[in-house]
Amino acid sequence: MLNFDDIAFDFSDTPFIAGLSFAVAQGEMLGLIGPNGAGKSTILKLAAGLLKPRAGSIRLAGRPIASYNGRERAQRVAYLPQQLDARLPFRVAELVEMGGYPHRGRAPRNTSEALRLAGLEAKAEAPLGQLSGGELRRAYLAMTLRQGADCLLLDEPLAGLDLRYQAELLQLLRGIAARTRTTVVMSLHDMGAALWLDRLLALKEGELIGAGKPRELLGEDLIRRLFDLDEEAAWIFRPGADLPETGQGRRSSG
Amino acid sequence: MKRTRVFLACAAALLLALVSIFFGPRLLNPLALDAESRQILLLLRLPRSAVAFLMGGALGASGLILQGVFRNPLADPYILGLSGGASLAAALGILLAGSLPLPLPLLAFAGALGACALVAALGRGPEGLRPDRLLLGGIGLGFFFSAVLLLLMTLVSDGGLKRTILWMSGDLSSANWELIPGGLALILGGLALALARSKGLNVLGLGDEIAHGLGFNPGRERFFLFIAASLMTAAAVSLGGTVGFVGLLVPHAVRHLVGADAQRALPVSFFGGGTLLCLADSLGRSLAAPLEIPAGVIVALIGAPWFILVLRKKGYGL
Repeated sequence: MLNFDDIAFDFSDTPFIAGLSFAVAQGEMLGLIGPNGAGKSTILKLAAGLLKPRAGSIRLAGRPIASYNGRERAQRVAYLPQQLDARLPFRVAELVEMGGYPHRGRAPRNTSEALRLAGLEAKAEAPLGQLSGGELRRAYLAMTLRQGADCLLLDEPLAGLDLRYQAELLQLLRGIAARTRTTVVMSLHDMGAALWLDRLLALKEGELIGAGKPRELLGEDLIRRLFDLDEEAAWIFRPGADLPETGQGRRSSG
Repeated sequence: MKRTRVFLACAAALLLALVSIFFGPRLLNPLALDAESRQILLLLRLPRSAVAFLMGGALGASGLILQGVFRNPLADPYILGLSGGASLAAALGILLAGSLPLPLPLLAFAGALGACALVAALGRGPEGLRPDRLLLGGIGLGFFFSAVLLLLMTLVSDGGLKRTILWMSGDLSSANWELIPGGLALILGGLALALARSKGLNVLGLGDEIAHGLGFNPGRERFFLFIAASLMTAAAVSLGGTVGFVGLLVPHAVRHLVGADAQRALPVSFFGGGTLLCLADSLGRSLAAPLEIPAGVIVALIGAPWFILVLRKKGYGL
């Protein structure tokens, strides 16, 4: 569905990503994990056509993303940034309706259906400013569902959500991916939430340092390398272990 | 249902504007018009109300466009310096009458467009156009244009000066039928362009990245919408000078009434803005007759308290 072939990308002449290759299958849920500045958002923006690679090719459904015009691209791929504005004057249904714009009246899914899929039928007439954080995410997600794209690119969709809303959103995304064979590529920081996904790419400073199924990939070694955690800080990944002493105490005793 | 509401809102606005024509220093009875009343109606009231309606409509629609493009509820043609640019260019036209071959509406359009380009240039940072920078740039530019205009008026002391002062304060007493064709052409052009780009206006409100994700080119949409707002601001200025507040007030009221979707809000903003200025002008010429209170003053006197109340209600912290 989505292929990155030997991608290189620079920030103002400073090399950032070099030789990045990966593929995402149709209906797959892929997570991008890594510390801040790892390149997760950059990869999503490259896939959305918001940024252009210096070298290499990004293909969507077998065709270079650069060869799509705006409307064609929007019919195939939908993108949501991390920051979603709640202080807009629109109501939920008005926002969702905009997802149909790329199709000029021939969208594969109408607004009611998109709202139903996102579980927001009861909030259709609510102003965006009156939604909770989770509902706001789902409202924007409903807009991308109205868009009817085969591939959803979501930048930190779980940011700022409590555990319940995270679980709801992940369940919703899994349901959509399974029912409609929609590919979902998302960046995330929560390693617990990452377990819900089919596959993960671990990134650090623009480099791919690991890839695989979440339960196979998310070992303590990778996490420590990814986030530069010392042994003490890595305690958080050992459920059941005793709380370590403070760094000061450990150093003095060791 | 929403289309019905849009139609009803436009029809009610138009009816109010029509009724306002009969009010003034002399109350006209539409069912019993004598020859003198007919003269007053045809030569004074109708052209004046038509000018007020077109002017207010243009400002209302421009305000809606600019608030959407800049993603800022405080944006309007007056605050962003578009009116100032159009005024300065048109004032130069009046003061240098004869030596400049261009008609007033075209000069005002050039001024508004020039101001738009300058505001856009000032608002461009390393990461592209930023709404907060654009707004600050526009405010600064507006002050600069006002200062240059005042300087011009101080330096020149012929008959053109009085015209410029009156025209600058949003004076509608000199309105006549001759003003209308030029202004109407610019307004129809601007409104048609804005309606054609109404989906672009909606998605720009969501931010450039989401607009791009929905298949739009934000820069191109912004360009066309700037042209539309400049055309209508220029028309308003060339019809009756600068009137503030209509472009700020009307879009807020319209969004409250019919929602923020530009396809609905644009026509209602036009009709609403037109009616507001018609009513304000009608009040201004009736309240202290034979003295006339400028329509812009009436709009601000009524609109400012209402606007502050709305902002408080919506929790903007005022």
